[in-house]
Amino acid sequence: MLETSPLETFLRGVAILLVILFFMFPIFWIVLMSFQTNETILRIPPSFIFEPTFDNYRALITGKLETNAASLDIAFMRNMGNSVLLSVGAVLLALILGVPAAYSFARHKTRFSEDIAFTLLSFRFAPPLLVLLPLTIYFQKLGLSDTYFGLIWVYQLICLPLILWIVRGYFEDISEDVEYAYRIGGHSWFETFRKIAVPLAGPGIAAAGLLAFIFAWNNFIFALVLASADKQPVTVGALAFVTASGIQYGQIAAAIVLSITPTLLLAVYAQKYLVEGLSLGAVKG
Amino acid sequence: MYEKEKDLVHSFLNGRLSRRGLIKRLAGLGVSATAAGSLVNMMATNAMAADFDWKKHSGTGVKLLLNKHPYTDAMIANLDNFKQLTGMDVQYDVFPEDVYFDKVTAALSSGSTEYDAFMTGAYMTWTYGPAGWITDLNEWIGDPEKTAASYNWDDMLPGVRKSCAWNGQPGGELGSADAKQWCIPWGYEQNNLAYNRNMFQKAGLSVPTNLDELVDTAAQAKASIDGVYGIGVRGSRSWASIHPGFLSAYANYGQKDLNVGADGKLSAAMNTDVSKDMHSKWVKMIQDSGAPDWSTHTWYQVGTDLGAGASAMIYDADILGYFMNGGDNKEAGNLAYAPFAANPAADAPSPNIWIWSLAMSEFSKKKDAAWYFMQWASGPEHGLFGATQMDFVNPVRQSVWADEDFRERLDKSYPGYVDMHDVSAPGAKIQFTAQPLFFDLTTEWAATLQKMVANEVPVDEGLDKLAESVNRQLKEADLG
Repeated sequence: MLETSPLETFLRGVAILLVILFFMFPIFWIVLMSFQTNETILRIPPSFIFEPTFDNYRALITGKLETNAASLDIAFMRNMGNSVLLSVGAVLLALILGVPAAYSFARHKTRFSEDIAFTLLSFRFAPPLLVLLPLTIYFQKLGLSDTYFGLIWVYQLICLPLILWIVRGYFEDISEDVEYAYRIGGHSWFETFRKIAVPLAGPGIAAAGLLAFIFAWNNFIFALVLASADKQPVTVGALAFVTASGIQYGQIAAAIVLSITPTLLLAVYAQKYLVEGLSLGAVKG
Repeated sequence: MYEKEKDLVHSFLNGRLSRRGLIKRLAGLGVSATAAGSLVNMMATNAMAADFDWKKHSGTGVKLLLNKHPYTDAMIANLDNFKQLTGMDVQYDVFPEDVYFDKVTAALSSGSTEYDAFMTGAYMTWTYGPAGWITDLNEWIGDPEKTAASYNWDDMLPGVRKSCAWNGQPGGELGSADAKQWCIPWGYEQNNLAYNRNMFQKAGLSVPTNLDELVDTAAQAKASIDGVYGIGVRGSRSWASIHPGFLSAYANYGQKDLNVGADGKLSAAMNTDVSKDMHSKWVKMIQDSGAPDWSTHTWYQVGTDLGAGASAMIYDADILGYFMNGGDNKEAGNLAYAPFAANPAADAPSPNIWIWSLAMSEFSKKKDAAWYFMQWASGPEHGLFGATQMDFVNPVRQSVWADEDFRERLDKSYPGYVDMHDVSAPGAKIQFTAQPLFFDLTTEWAATLQKMVANEVPVDEGLDKLAESVNRQLKEADLG
């Protein structure tokens, strides 16, 4: 058994601390900024010592933003609600469509399976603007423009290929013998899929769902082009604090803290599945 | 309303009583200044209804696409008066400036009928107009059936009004007789000096009056005030770094971006000896006294640094200095303003301008109704309301600039602002040549400036190379 020397343990600790500091300091600084006024944020030189204020959070939650010029209405909480609705809706729809499709691609290979799967993946290759302008015209004709349903549909360009390709890999890693054994017991393929394949690929599905959620949450351009101001997500809404009369740094920081919270909580909650899911199939026995 | 107050407001609207006299006498009747302002605005709206059929489109709704800006806030604050005057409904989408023009371009290029009118910059109409996305507004402005006599189109500042009109010919003079009025000026920005009075006093500096003095003053400010750089100007690799202070100074030397030949062909004009000399001074000023991270500076950084006391002065949009003199900025109340003519031989400043304007979508199904909104929003009554009650500066109407209350308000809190405007306004206009490659060529100019400041290329060589590249691109586009 290998033993680690105290020096090595110490050096490893220092290295880990440095890495944590490097990656976490911007987030830590943003959290500090969210409790400061613009004046203290812009002090020269910057300082860790300040009198904390909740005004930034209050402005976001009450919807009133005090700028250099006037009191403005802001819709950040509505933007948050839109992000939750669009991301959750898009991921759920992608899971409903993508998981059976992934199972089909893994287990029932046909002549065109690979071509179809690759076509779906290719949706991720196209620059969004290339797709969006023609889509705007179609959406107007179909009455889908400026609707949540239309947006959730377009979000499938992000979520569906991701879920399909990740989950397909997990299904392929599950031994087919387990499924055959269950089917010999007189169960249908759908029962096999529901009761054997899906539970076994559960961590992978959770990991794919979480990744799709993060991609959907961070999306910016789809709602901007296809919807009105009242359906914009946080990624667009947060820009409202950059105004001609000045940048509201404190409110931007508070908005960042609030907008990363759902994803962060979800990631922490699903961490176990995420690690298990992402490492599944990494080592084949 | 009581009869006495009504009579006073009527006297004001009929020109028998000054605005100041009205507010003074209303105060005597116990009416506060804010309430008096709202009262006048409401009565003015009622008076407007007397000479024009404002109810013609009653029951019709229009939808606007707007940028998040104090001008928008002023309009929204007064919108109920428009609805009451016309019986129309107005819906609007407000988007942050960072993404605003992406939204406009997407809406227009897809032929969307969703928005009837929208905010735009005059430069953008050089793309939108020839593409057939926006409407020539001359048809509406000149029609007495559609435009109220009180609209008084000639009240608009001439340089600003002309800057919004172009005949669509590359190199065509703005505001020419055959020009199409692609947009209506709403509010505008001149580029002049805004400086920190306290810093200038402590360091014993005087306000510079030409480019040589500006270079020296900026260097002295940096040397004598700890932790402060001398001058804030924009430097990011964008067309927006060229159009404010830089082009205003450049134009003051009589220099142009492009030459227009007798055959209508365009060619680069930025590598003359005078231009090279001016560029050298500008580059030296940034190297000696500009922001350490100048090449990343946009509107936001230039303004924030002035407001936070990190820079001693800026040569940028006057309203940027205006905004930084208020709110929770550290230096609020310490800023002052001055007109600036870079060329010592020039009679007056010749600032390039940015104009927030209103344009009509060619795809609108309710153009007449949209025009009703546009003429109200750019009319003298709303202009005066915005200027005196909100932050609708700079107004584009001469009548608003002549208003005593407005001038007094500005003078009191923004020292030098009124004088700066009065001195600069006659020479204020868009100094660029209107042509479809405007954004590409100007961005390349900004990139060249960055290289010069970083000492990657000498000024002479950099400008010659830029001119060569501009000429090549103009030829490729069949413009040169």
